[in-house]
Amino acid sequence: MINDKNSQKIVDIIQNWARKQSIWVLAYGTGCGAIEIPPTMTSRYDAERLGVRGAATPRQADVLLITGYLTTKTLKRVIRVYEQMQDPKYVIGFGSCTINGGMYYDSYNTIKVLDKYLPVDVYINGCMPRPESVLAGFGKLQELIGNGEANGATKYKENLEWYRANQKKIIPNWVMPEYNW
Amino acid sequence: MQQLKANLIEHIKTSFKDAREKDYPNENRLDFYVNKQCIPSILTYAKDRLGYIHLSHIAIVDWLEDGEIELIYIIWSPEEKIKMFVRTRVERENSVMPNIDMIWRQANTYEREFREMYGIQFQGLEGEQDFLLEDWDGPPPMRRDFDTEAYADDTFFHRPGREDAQDVREAITKRSGEEIPDFAKKYSR
Repeated sequence: MINDKNSQKIVDIIQNWARKQSIWVLAYGTGCGAIEIPPTMTSRYDAERLGVRGAATPRQADVLLITGYLTTKTLKRVIRVYEQMQDPKYVIGFGSCTINGGMYYDSYNTIKVLDKYLPVDVYINGCMPRPESVLAGFGKLQELIGNGEANGATKYKENLEWYRANQKKIIPNWVMPEYNW
Repeated sequence: MQQLKANLIEHIKTSFKDAREKDYPNENRLDFYVNKQCIPSILTYAKDRLGYIHLSHIAIVDWLEDGEIELIYIIWSPEEKIKMFVRTRVERENSVMPNIDMIWRQANTYEREFREMYGIQFQGLEGEQDFLLEDWDGPPPMRRDFDTEAYADDTFFHRPGREDAQDVREAITKRSGEEIPDFAKKYSR
């Protein structure tokens, strides 16, 4: 077993390099932004040449794309999905709705700031972001993973109580399992 | 078409004394105001006797100033090609409407939505209490006196704006030395 600090570093570098080359995205469209995913994935922009491709289930996926607004109803499902995903896992906030509410800033039923509820690694702004900016966002995520800085999942585990308190504030009827990592 | 329309108006007026006709210039449209108790009977009459077999839509208008809510049942006769608007008004507070989902089953969906979004109760309406909203404990959100912005402010987090945010027009004129014309000043922050 490797205990040496330097050899651990080398392992990390290889691990991060491998992780950033194959980003599997969960095919779960939450808002209107999901309409930008087909052109990103298909022949014109062809995200698969960068290692970005769809995954069928949360347990196979690395990245959760939050494409646009999240209603409180969808947030419940998204949290469930995020917690089912296995490490390493990353979240990309997509579109201005996830950043500050966007055009739904005064809506009674959508959340405005995503990173209070889930740890966001990369935000892509725009309403809608074009496939070019989606690819740029994935590029940024790959850079962060390569440097070992995309540690949203660790942040979520460490500050689970804070995230839970925020989530329960808008989801009063909590029916999801409690974890003790 | 004119003759047909006049016939229909006469039919409805003889059967329903309190139906008031609302004049509308299009010849393929009929418009009636009725009491809310008459709604099931006038719709059944139109469906069984006059051939209005299709419920196109149920629309709703919140007349906040009058303290009333207006429901508009839009029905359509494929044979005569005339639309009929059956309007009724209920009071905004503790509003109860007769249920019509035994006449058209699809009305059930509309009624559940109105119950949730406008707080109108329908007599004997079956279906889950939650329809589009989950765990909602506020007032009915689509009513005009519901302040969505205030509700969003106390329910959700907001990201504060940038401190160095500038007015675009002012920043450009300052840089280029132009003057903002008077008519455009009111649009600046």
